[in-house]
Amino acid sequence: MSSHAAAGTIDHHHDPSTSTGIPNKKLIMWTFLASDCMFFGALISTHLIYRLHPAPGSPSPKQIFSLELTSFSTFILLMSSLMMALAVTAIQKGNVKSMRWSLLTTIFFGAIFLGCQVYEFEEFVKLKNVTLTNSMFGTTFYTLTGTHGIHVAVGVFWLILMYVRSFQPHEAGRTFGWFFKNCLHITALVGAVLLSMFAVLGVVHTLHAGGTAGAYFASYLWMIAGFVGCVAVCIGFAQPKALSNFGEANAIDVESMGLYWHFVDIVWIVIFTAVYLIEYL
Amino acid sequence: MSAPVSTSPDHAHGHEEESKFQIYVNVAMLLAVITGVEIVGIYLPFAKWVIVTGLVILSVVKFLYVIFYFMHLRWDKPFCTILFFIGLVLSAGTVWALIAIFSVKDSLPLPT
Repeated sequence: MSSHAAAGTIDHHHDPSTSTGIPNKKLIMWTFLASDCMFFGALISTHLIYRLHPAPGSPSPKQIFSLELTSFSTFILLMSSLMMALAVTAIQKGNVKSMRWSLLTTIFFGAIFLGCQVYEFEEFVKLKNVTLTNSMFGTTFYTLTGTHGIHVAVGVFWLILMYVRSFQPHEAGRTFGWFFKNCLHITALVGAVLLSMFAVLGVVHTLHAGGTAGAYFASYLWMIAGFVGCVAVCIGFAQPKALSNFGEANAIDVESMGLYWHFVDIVWIVIFTAVYLIEYL
Repeated sequence: MSAPVSTSPDHAHGHEEESKFQIYVNVAMLLAVITGVEIVGIYLPFAKWVIVTGLVILSVVKFLYVIFYFMHLRWDKPFCTILFFIGLVLSAGTVWALIAIFSVKDSLPLPT
């Protein structure tokens, strides 16, 4: 896998080596997304059918949902789609550095979205008494939004893999330890994402409990220290010693991943209206 | 796997790539504005069916902007659009059929 072509010489919308003229990776991704549409269609309609089955004694969905939080996470996911599109444009021009920054921003926004979802689920279970098993509303709601959340988590992990992959050196500069180094890089990045999510959740819990900054740092010091450590390791690995073999020829890999990420965004566009906004009418 | 190298690089293609940044930012801003309109819309004193219709139309607009611009369907071969819309039509049919068979009121438990 190499990228020795000069930037801008590759036609990213046409592949003469396939009978359809469409790169195989793109075609398989569109086929998968078409099938995933039906999967989410079934989940959304099931929730729409059973949404009037709350747990006995629990408040109405309008009182359960937080429109501010959901609107914020919707906005964050839209912006992550913008950054993903910019990452694809950057790599199509052979600009690997710009692509890496765009991917990191997309990972950051994806982690915020997941953090909001974890916070929302925690609130619903602990404060609003909406669990997976105590009502049909809870079952269909958690199945739908949880499946979407798993898609986002898979997308974030894929983004991390692609980001680390962009540092892979040329065959000539590749040593025995590059695989383990990449594994450590991935672990540090995943650790940074998870610890930052939990650190932010800790801020929210401390604020809810009326705690101070001192109390927060005392309770979550290990989390903050771990996050800083993971970020330091990531910064260390982001200084490539050898020339990377990642370039414009890999644009199709980034584009396929981008298609998946945008699909997660369009599913949320439907969920935001069909599950959340509809309850306020 | 390497992408194919074109034998005749087109300068117009380069200009198109250059303007894509502007297009993406504009689309993202439009999507954010539409989301804001949706949130405000649910509080407007109109009939429920009017607001629901409005929300569905706005969601469809957002959906189409994402798939045609961010997902490049506008610039890709029509076969990708056809392929995805096959899944989309089947999905819409599934939703319609399920809701037609099990309507929301029918799913309510019988009073005991």
